[in-house]
Amino acid sequence: MNAIIPLVLDTLSSAALIFFAAVGLTLVFNVLRVLNVAHGSFYSIGAYVAASICAFIVSRHLNPYLSFVALLFSAALVAVVLGPLIESTLIRWTYGKSEAVQILITFGLFLILEDLQRMVFGVQSFYEDTPMRLMGSSSIGGVVYLNYQMFLVAMAVIVVFGLRLLIKHSRLGRLVTAVVADREMAQSIGVDTNKIFIFAFSLGVFLAALGGALAVPTSGVAPGLGADTMVLAFAVAAIGGLGQIEGAALAALIVALARVLAIYFVPSLDAVAPYAAMLIVLLVRPYGLFGAITTRRI
Amino acid sequence: MRAILLIVAILAIVAAPMAAPWLQFVLTMAVAKGLAALGVAVLLRAGMISIGHAMFVAASAYGVAFLARAGIADFGLLLVLSVVITGLAGAVVGAFLIRYRAIFFAMLNLAVSMVFYALFAKLYGVTGGTDGMTIPVPTVFGIVLSEPTFKAVLFYGSVALMVVVGLAVHRYLDSPLGHALSAVHTNEVRLEYLGVPVWAVLLVAYVVSAVLAGLGGAIAGFAIGRVVPDFAFWTASGHLVLVAVLGGIGGVPGAFIGAFFLELLHTEAAAFTDAWNLIVGAALIGVIMFLPKGLYGLLTRSEVSAK
Amino acid sequence: MKFKTALSAFALVGCLGAAMPAFAQDKPASLGLGIFTFTSGPAAAYGMPGKNAADLMIDQINAAGGIGGVKIAPTYVDEAQGAQGVITEYRRLAAEPKNQVMLAALSSANCLALAPIAEQLEVPTVGWNCDTHQLLQDGKSKYVFRPNGNTVPEFVAYAVYLLAKKPDVKTVAIINPDYAFGHDAAKIFKAALHALKPDIQIVAELFPKLGSPNYQTEISRLTTARPDVVFSNLWGADLENFVRQAQPRGLFTSSQVILALGETVLQRVSLPDGVIVGVLGDGWWMSPDAAANPETKKFAEAYKAKFGEYPVFPSIKMANTILYVKAAYESAMKKNGGKWPSRAELAEAMKGSTVTTLTGKSVTRADNDGLVDQIVGVTVKSPTQSFPVIGDMVRYKGDALMPKEGQDPIAWISTLKPEFAASLPKPGSYK
Repeated sequence: MNAIIPLVLDTLSSAALIFFAAVGLTLVFNVLRVLNVAHGSFYSIGAYVAASICAFIVSRHLNPYLSFVALLFSAALVAVVLGPLIESTLIRWTYGKSEAVQILITFGLFLILEDLQRMVFGVQSFYEDTPMRLMGSSSIGGVVYLNYQMFLVAMAVIVVFGLRLLIKHSRLGRLVTAVVADREMAQSIGVDTNKIFIFAFSLGVFLAALGGALAVPTSGVAPGLGADTMVLAFAVAAIGGLGQIEGAALAALIVALARVLAIYFVPSLDAVAPYAAMLIVLLVRPYGLFGAITTRRI
Repeated sequence: MRAILLIVAILAIVAAPMAAPWLQFVLTMAVAKGLAALGVAVLLRAGMISIGHAMFVAASAYGVAFLARAGIADFGLLLVLSVVITGLAGAVVGAFLIRYRAIFFAMLNLAVSMVFYALFAKLYGVTGGTDGMTIPVPTVFGIVLSEPTFKAVLFYGSVALMVVVGLAVHRYLDSPLGHALSAVHTNEVRLEYLGVPVWAVLLVAYVVSAVLAGLGGAIAGFAIGRVVPDFAFWTASGHLVLVAVLGGIGGVPGAFIGAFFLELLHTEAAAFTDAWNLIVGAALIGVIMFLPKGLYGLLTRSEVSAK
Repeated sequence: MKFKTALSAFALVGCLGAAMPAFAQDKPASLGLGIFTFTSGPAAAYGMPGKNAADLMIDQINAAGGIGGVKIAPTYVDEAQGAQGVITEYRRLAAEPKNQVMLAALSSANCLALAPIAEQLEVPTVGWNCDTHQLLQDGKSKYVFRPNGNTVPEFVAYAVYLLAKKPDVKTVAIINPDYAFGHDAAKIFKAALHALKPDIQIVAELFPKLGSPNYQTEISRLTTARPDVVFSNLWGADLENFVRQAQPRGLFTSSQVILALGETVLQRVSLPDGVIVGVLGDGWWMSPDAAANPETKKFAEAYKAKFGEYPVFPSIKMANTILYVKAAYESAMKKNGGKWPSRAELAEAMKGSTVTTLTGKSVTRADNDGLVDQIVGVTVKSPTQSFPVIGDMVRYKGDALMPKEGQDPIAWISTLKPEFAASLPKPGSYK
């Protein structure tokens, strides 16, 4: 039994991080039907901004608990600045165009954002672990865990239920659902689809940036984070079924479990495990666990 | 008119390294990337975008490395065998993937390529892990060559190969099989009503694209002298699509125009800016929005107006 | 078309053949130096101190008139761009005659990739940091040198030190980066432990990808294995991340930790006392030998003034490597009457040389590998510095821990006996 506890806790805590990497991607696809290849860049930008703000708080000897606020604030900042700007210039142009065009436009955006990050934040690693140290650690089943790791799990659960609440039970959410179901019909009854799209895209950016911000206290941020996050996000989104938020949560658990089991029992395959899990799931269910089969275009 | 232009361009490529020897490596890599991008372009004709084709580039380069380790030393044999292996890999992966369209095709290619990538990177005992494997200087027709001589042979061989393969792919795209490919894009169901087996059309295209990527990978491997897992990383696949689209998927020369343009520009740009990705990303978006036929489209358009 | 291609190929081959021989030349306007290091990404935490030291050392040499009156003009290449880009840049730099020497590279992977090219292009190439023993193992290198020595003495030293310090160690866990350096080090460290104390068990062996930001699951795995000792040769930002994540989770209290490259993070993260650390050589700027050398003190103070921290051992390795190149130029010029040497003459001068560095001596063997002493110790609080320093030190002689030229290193290690370890100096003997 004792051997199981660390497996479970490690799986949960890495699943939380993995879930945050993917949930924004899948949400944006759900509403806009655009696979945003630049998603990983929003994640790393969120991480850079959070690290910078936290470092500022520490250097000015402000109340260190402000750093928790900073994590949320930086994600919101990134979403408000970049979300509407990018949606209304680049992403909107791709609606109704082929997937190839959408992927290429966002890939171009990815390349631009990667270089912009290097110009703004430099090429060194950033690290700011104040929030992690503030929360301390606890010994569970003979292994010491950071309370921050458990905080991440709680945050992930909050996001899953929060998004559910937002989409299923709020007016805004119902409008989004209406647009997803039938864009033209929604338009014809007076829904401002442009606003819905801006909101949905910005929410996706927010979730990505939040994921990056929340990862900073334990993992730091360095160039290349965006590209690595992107593939992980793809894997999780694909396993869960593109556009399925609960699917992404389950997929994050599967990917995390695969990786944790690999590290415990076949460490030489740790990096292969997530992708192997993805391949196996997709071989059995090509459209993902929760994904619906779409018909071929006629 | 266009044919003359292309011949002049090829002669210029052949002559360039005599004026600037360091260009030889850059141009060899441009041919390699052009071949791989041509593979991606073939699939794009059917509206299918693969962000995983770098796996075939890597598979072929690793094929060369493994075969060389197993004692095969002949250039031609290494090239042919590794490309055949890649073609077979393409047939296996393709048989599974061509059932899917659009976003799912793109993502499944990505999924498979990342499995390749992770395996290349993690099997340290077999593949050398992230250090990669050495690709030694092979013999050519039994003759042991010095490194510079081999690189010259490789360069001129690659240019010749580019011409031959380019013509062959041109013929293929102009054949019923090739036209069926574009028809998949416009109206797949009608194609089936006409009795054309779509899966066969796509499988052939997928294998062709894998073989082209494999050719590129083998040449790149020989030119660099080493193969590393990064060959298969998803951004490498993204760049192949980028090269194809930048050049234009309207004709065979597009992929090569894209590759030569990018490689030469990169060499120049590296001297005064490191915002290379920004430039390329912006160029990509610009081309898609304003030049849907790519750089090659500029050429063909001017020809139309000349008529 | 084909005929034409074949013809031009012949013509080109002819040209290249005629251009090959290189002669001693007049002094050039400047000496081009290609310097390969990580200037971006997680590895830059280790690579930038190398670049900083190169900048400073080159400034100092140029201010004193350069090498034989020729100023050094460095070109830096970022190794973070991967093997393909590094090789392309190497070829480009080598094609320019003014670039006579390459200091390449930091990463073992890049050294292994560049070595065959260096031999083919006949460019003297000095590995300033990479230490995989695979690099010069065949003994045939003419142009590749490594004054800093290799993984074998570096990691045998840790095994010897550990057993001297904690003779009753039973279980060991390893976490190293997943490439040549990490795997080589694990192999050597394990072989040395097994030879010197056969009942030692390896209870976990992890090889996370180089550049991984998150080690939480690995730390859980290490903790559950309950090893007496955790050994790691993680480096750069990876090492900083690992320490920051492992320390609050109690790994440093539950096990004796060995951080082979721990000295590089002393000034950046707060390591507890008693962690076994070292410098993979003798490049500790506060060692007794270094403290006795006024040049070294001057360098360290100038470094601190310019970059805000003291030179960590990658800085010292880089500085020593530049001194090594300078010494080779001076001896080559002495030999041919003050004329500027060709690339081949320079390589010739490096062969078998003995060079006094900032922190000791570097002796180049017949296989072009360097012999340098190995300093190992544990972290202790410092009376003079705000960060922990290395105490309870030992300095093993370079040739004592190195197999002979051409000998298989793992086979050599397995012949070591406990008596061999007993014959070496003890922890605390170097002060």
